[in-house]
Amino acid sequence: MNMTGIIFSEMYGEDLSVFTHDRNLAAIPFGGRYRLVDFVLSNMVNSGINNVGILAKQNYHSLMDHLANNQEWDLNRKNGGLLLLPPFASEAVNQNNRGKLDELRNALNYLENASTPYVLLADAYVVYNMDYRPMLQAHIESGADVTIAATRVEDGSAAGFPSVFQAGRSGRITSYALNCTARPGDYAGMGCMIISRQLLTSAIREYTARGIYHLERDFIQHQFNRGQLSLNLYEFKGVCLRIRDVDEYFNNSLAIINEEVGGPLFRGDRPIYTRVTDEVPTYYGPDCSVSACVIADGCSIEGEVDHCVFSRGVRICKGAKVKNCIIMQGSVVGENVELENVIVDKWANITAGAELKGLATNPVIIRKGATV
Amino acid sequence: MIERKKECIAMLLAGGQGSRLYVLTEDTAKPAVPFGGKYRIIDFSLSNCVNSGIDTVGILTQYQPLELNDYIGNGQPWDLNRNFGGAHVLPPYTRAKHSDWYKGTASAIYQNIAFVDRYNPKYVVLLSGDHIYKMDYHKMLEFHKEKGSECTIAVIDVSDSEATRMGIMSTDDNMAITDFEEKPKHPKSNHASMGVYVFTWEVLRQYLIADEEDPSSENDFGKNIIPAMLKDGRAMFAYPFQGYWKDVGTLDSLWQGNMDLLDPNDPLNIHDPNWKIYARNYASPSTRIDPGATVANSLVAEGCIIRGKVVHSVLYTGCVVEEGACVTGGVIMPNTVIKKGADVNYAIIGEQCVIEENATVGEKPDGEDPFAHNGIAVVGHRKTIASGAVVKAKEII
Repeated sequence: MNMTGIIFSEMYGEDLSVFTHDRNLAAIPFGGRYRLVDFVLSNMVNSGINNVGILAKQNYHSLMDHLANNQEWDLNRKNGGLLLLPPFASEAVNQNNRGKLDELRNALNYLENASTPYVLLADAYVVYNMDYRPMLQAHIESGADVTIAATRVEDGSAAGFPSVFQAGRSGRITSYALNCTARPGDYAGMGCMIISRQLLTSAIREYTARGIYHLERDFIQHQFNRGQLSLNLYEFKGVCLRIRDVDEYFNNSLAIINEEVGGPLFRGDRPIYTRVTDEVPTYYGPDCSVSACVIADGCSIEGEVDHCVFSRGVRICKGAKVKNCIIMQGSVVGENVELENVIVDKWANITAGAELKGLATNPVIIRKGATV
Repeated sequence: MIERKKECIAMLLAGGQGSRLYVLTEDTAKPAVPFGGKYRIIDFSLSNCVNSGIDTVGILTQYQPLELNDYIGNGQPWDLNRNFGGAHVLPPYTRAKHSDWYKGTASAIYQNIAFVDRYNPKYVVLLSGDHIYKMDYHKMLEFHKEKGSECTIAVIDVSDSEATRMGIMSTDDNMAITDFEEKPKHPKSNHASMGVYVFTWEVLRQYLIADEEDPSSENDFGKNIIPAMLKDGRAMFAYPFQGYWKDVGTLDSLWQGNMDLLDPNDPLNIHDPNWKIYARNYASPSTRIDPGATVANSLVAEGCIIRGKVVHSVLYTGCVVEEGACVTGGVIMPNTVIKKGADVNYAIIGEQCVIEENATVGEKPDGEDPFAHNGIAVVGHRKTIASGAVVKAKEII
């Protein structure tokens, strides 16, 4: 494979800060047994990419723990494999994230030593199942400098996107806007682009030397507007879930319960890999009632659950009623507890008889390890 | 040269056919038969080794080894991918002189003396990959050392009627073995051998060589090695084990073993975080239970999709139960699909089967007790049961 993968594990963390106290964005649990990073990482592996660098800056212990020796993704390779790329200590570690070019500068050595002509840059906050090979093929055929993956916006009333494009029939991008709303027929970026390694490394050196750090705004959009960078659009027609704030996290987590969403995301020919924890199969008690749920292994369900997503090792005790909830690893919902529209982070304990109700538009969030 | 050695290694006999599992072991060795939703039978012995601190395991294969070899791989799922030690699959091989298949359990170890010697161990734990149990072999090894034993055999107390089907040890008050009988008509004791042995390697090595040289020997531990050691007055002790131990070598016991896991007081307790049972994992998504489905008193592994009804059952990885399909008392092995309206009762369905629409497998019990059935129906691996077809109780397809 003539492409190296780079994953940004931090972007857009601010609006999800309730989950990123002691983990970074890429390590946020999603879809039962997964973390957000599993999706782009598995896509890369399933596309034959076996050189992957993950850029991390803050709170990445949880991510390291998850990736461990990279073997679940088959990236424990002699040649290539997966490398976590934290910043160099000399590079103003305590400063806030100044931009992707700043992060990429920490990976400059890695990129310069890579042997592939192309680089795939991917954000971890987008959940989708995609083969990058046709995208690379389209990139090479188009002759463009950069190819950006995007989904077509059908509903104009939707919230804004980090990047919005218009494109001609050939796929050539004709307009490039950042952080704005989209009209029907526009395309929304999915945090994924292909660029030649040569062009990327020279841009990193040139821009960071001048104190300019924003990849999309200062390099791509700026050069595009000056007519010096040609952009090609690659339309992705599959399921694409963006996780930028609590609302999106809540709604998109529950969305995978529907077969139309969960089916294409978890397809047999391109599996999503994740860390193995050797949990037992999930036990369903004699009096439980389960409807419309996605449930990982190691759970014990004895209460009534409806429209929920449970990570590994969740316990729902007798008499509990849980509706529209996302419950992360190892949390316990005690007897006769009633939960509705609640997100419970890992290892929390909801003691017997408690009653918590949020709104579908504003779920209650229980912090990691909390006792309620 | 660095003379590295291990105090204790394990040799796991995994070459048995398990012919009493019929269709389930037609093209798979018994230790590779799926069990308990996500495991295979061999996972229990392998996990016991690792949890007991034994990091070197020779796995002796002979009968239909493909699936087992594939499953063991480099031993990584059990943390047995070690630089010195780890999991080694040991099939029979040809030599300059006297090449042979493994004629019996003793011959299997004899042919791998070179493997054992490589680790120069003081003790060897001999196991069979046929049983479901959790046991700390380290404690048994300590017992072996304390007693000054040369051969220690783990025993479990069984009823008189069960004893007639097993190898029975008579012991004195100090647990020294005084007599051993294979399947006695009138058992003198209730200590049944579990097929778990600790040997002092130096002693066992001598007996293996002598046994191989004896043309009249069947080269079997139970029939030859143990009686020979007993006759010579070697230091032999029985190590009493208490806890769940099940031979899942018959279709009924395999089904029952799965059902035991549904007991709220599951005597095996596979949930114990301090004694995890490890298994090779495949990248399956979380299980999805659709609206209108019913799941009760069941164990469901990953990657299943349930739209129908599943009661008193164990569903293995990647099974699908479609709308209107009903599974009661089912042991459904990996990646099997139960199509719309199919009815599965008190049955074991093998891997990758398709039960077509409105087919019926097995029978409902007459009485109230959900576990008092008329007999288990069995469908072998990779079979398709045609639409509307009927497989009766006790039938084996």
